[in-house]
Amino acid sequence: MIDLQVLTQAVGDLDENTILTMISDFVATNPSGEDAQKVVFACQQGMAIVGELFEKNEYYVGDLIFAGELLSKTIDLLKPVLSSVATQKFGSIVIGTVEGDLHDIGKNIFGSMAEAAGFDVYDLGIDVSPSAFVEKVKEVKPQIVGMSGVLTLAIDSMKNTVNALNEAGLRDSVKIIIGGNPVNEDACKQIGADAFTTNAAEGLKTCQGWVK
Amino acid sequence: MTDAAARTNERNQIFRDLFSGKTPKRVPISNPATQDFAIQHAGLDLAECQWDLTKLEPVYDKFCQDFYTDTYPGGSIRIPSHYQILGSTPIVMSSSGFMQHPDVVGMLAEEYDQFIASPYDCIVETILPRLYTGFNGEPGKVAMTLAKAMRAQSDDLAYLGAIRAKMNAKYGFATMIGALTEAPFDFMADFLRSFKGISGDVRRYPDKVAAACEAVLPLMIKKGTLPNPSMLGYTFIPLHMAPYLRDKDFATLYWPTFKKLVETLASMGQNVQLFVEQDWMRYLDYLYELPENTIMRFEYGDAKVIKEKLGQKHIISGLYPVTLLQTGTKQQCVDKAKELLDILAPGGRYWWQADKSIIHLEASGPVVENLKAVLDYVHENGTY
Repeated sequence: MIDLQVLTQAVGDLDENTILTMISDFVATNPSGEDAQKVVFACQQGMAIVGELFEKNEYYVGDLIFAGELLSKTIDLLKPVLSSVATQKFGSIVIGTVEGDLHDIGKNIFGSMAEAAGFDVYDLGIDVSPSAFVEKVKEVKPQIVGMSGVLTLAIDSMKNTVNALNEAGLRDSVKIIIGGNPVNEDACKQIGADAFTTNAAEGLKTCQGWVK
Repeated sequence: MTDAAARTNERNQIFRDLFSGKTPKRVPISNPATQDFAIQHAGLDLAECQWDLTKLEPVYDKFCQDFYTDTYPGGSIRIPSHYQILGSTPIVMSSSGFMQHPDVVGMLAEEYDQFIASPYDCIVETILPRLYTGFNGEPGKVAMTLAKAMRAQSDDLAYLGAIRAKMNAKYGFATMIGALTEAPFDFMADFLRSFKGISGDVRRYPDKVAAACEAVLPLMIKKGTLPNPSMLGYTFIPLHMAPYLRDKDFATLYWPTFKKLVETLASMGQNVQLFVEQDWMRYLDYLYELPENTIMRFEYGDAKVIKEKLGQKHIISGLYPVTLLQTGTKQQCVDKAKELLDILAPGGRYWWQADKSIIHLEASGPVVENLKAVLDYVHENGTY
């Protein structure tokens, strides 16, 4: 049986070779869905270590991006043995880079960390119009909407998106978090969001607090 | 001499003093708003005006009239015509009409060796056709595409240059020229490997990343060289990836070739202006090592610490938060300008610029009034 503690540590260390070898060997043993779940959980704990090291300024954004890539490789390897069991989800989030902005790196980091933490993540992509946010919220009824942007124009687009959710009568059904370079407390108030962050790990904690 | 010509002379002298480490007669100012903002300020459509540059002369005239600045406020423009003709993927227009740089992959990880052996050949033969769809196909067609794009670009630049000359003649701005280049590591990330790609490469094959940065350095120096180094102006280097790297990766992969780039340009007698994007506070000791009078426009950081560590040797700029113009009152905006003046101006070596460009204007918002108030305040009170 795979040593889950070693796996967790390897994910925390972002040790690609060790992770991929361990997972491939594990999948080759044709494990049960239940055991595969334990492996996923071990990886999630490894990602939590990554988040902690990021907060301690030992890891930086480049490391988070690499972590996201490793995690999706890992999940791809595990998919054949995971499909038999329903995974437990903690909540759902609709995310997107707001209208007029094409920057998606921060959004992708947050999305992969949220997925790793057990959220259902619906990613609308980049340059997302307020109406596209509204439609998706109507469709999947998430607990949380995450809006991302890098340009200063994103502030206005975020405000327009909150207004659109308001007009559609959906604002009170969701928590809204905004993230990216130009956001701060004043912008958050003006936009009418519930929280803001420039740090994906911190933003994830906020979201976890909301769905507890 | 006309009033405008006298103003140009005066402003040129201010910048000559600033760039050579002397204390100028007052703190010079560059309006952080861009052409995109100017078009919206004139009440015109952003996308349309970028396709039809003939609409821009009255746009610039109003822009120059309404906002105080010592330098022409039309820098750093991505004109869509030639990008469109080339089928550009690294520079594209968003729904708002703003030209942007999405995260693209121009070079695959397995192409490092080819790149290191001959960066120029690899860029021309492999990377450009991947990034620009217009470079795929029959050689004759590719040649026509290139010719059309270059013609469109030179026509557009000539047109914008004519507007600039008219505005300089009317408003008496400093006549500075600029070149643009990137730190080798940033070039590898932004146009070749992507943010995501380079983040993996740094861990998987750091030696190749280092070798690629060395290999591309001569091209980055060439790109950043002014037509004549004695001209008033600077080489602009927008910095990107360092804040996202671990200290040891910065020290071994980013810094060595970046330092050589700045030192080489400075040794030719040119000034270099860095846009120090995001948070560089953990790298201030490195920045101190750069040649004297390197201009550093900071996006983020503690102004006091920056002044203390770098202000005796380098020219500090930036730090004024443009988002405050969107969210603050006029008084708060002016107070912030005063706060930064009080910290950064004493002793010289300070140029008033904001932390980033203002590219967007919400017509009903307070930005126009706040920006005017701040520029006027610094103009009237900007003593060293």
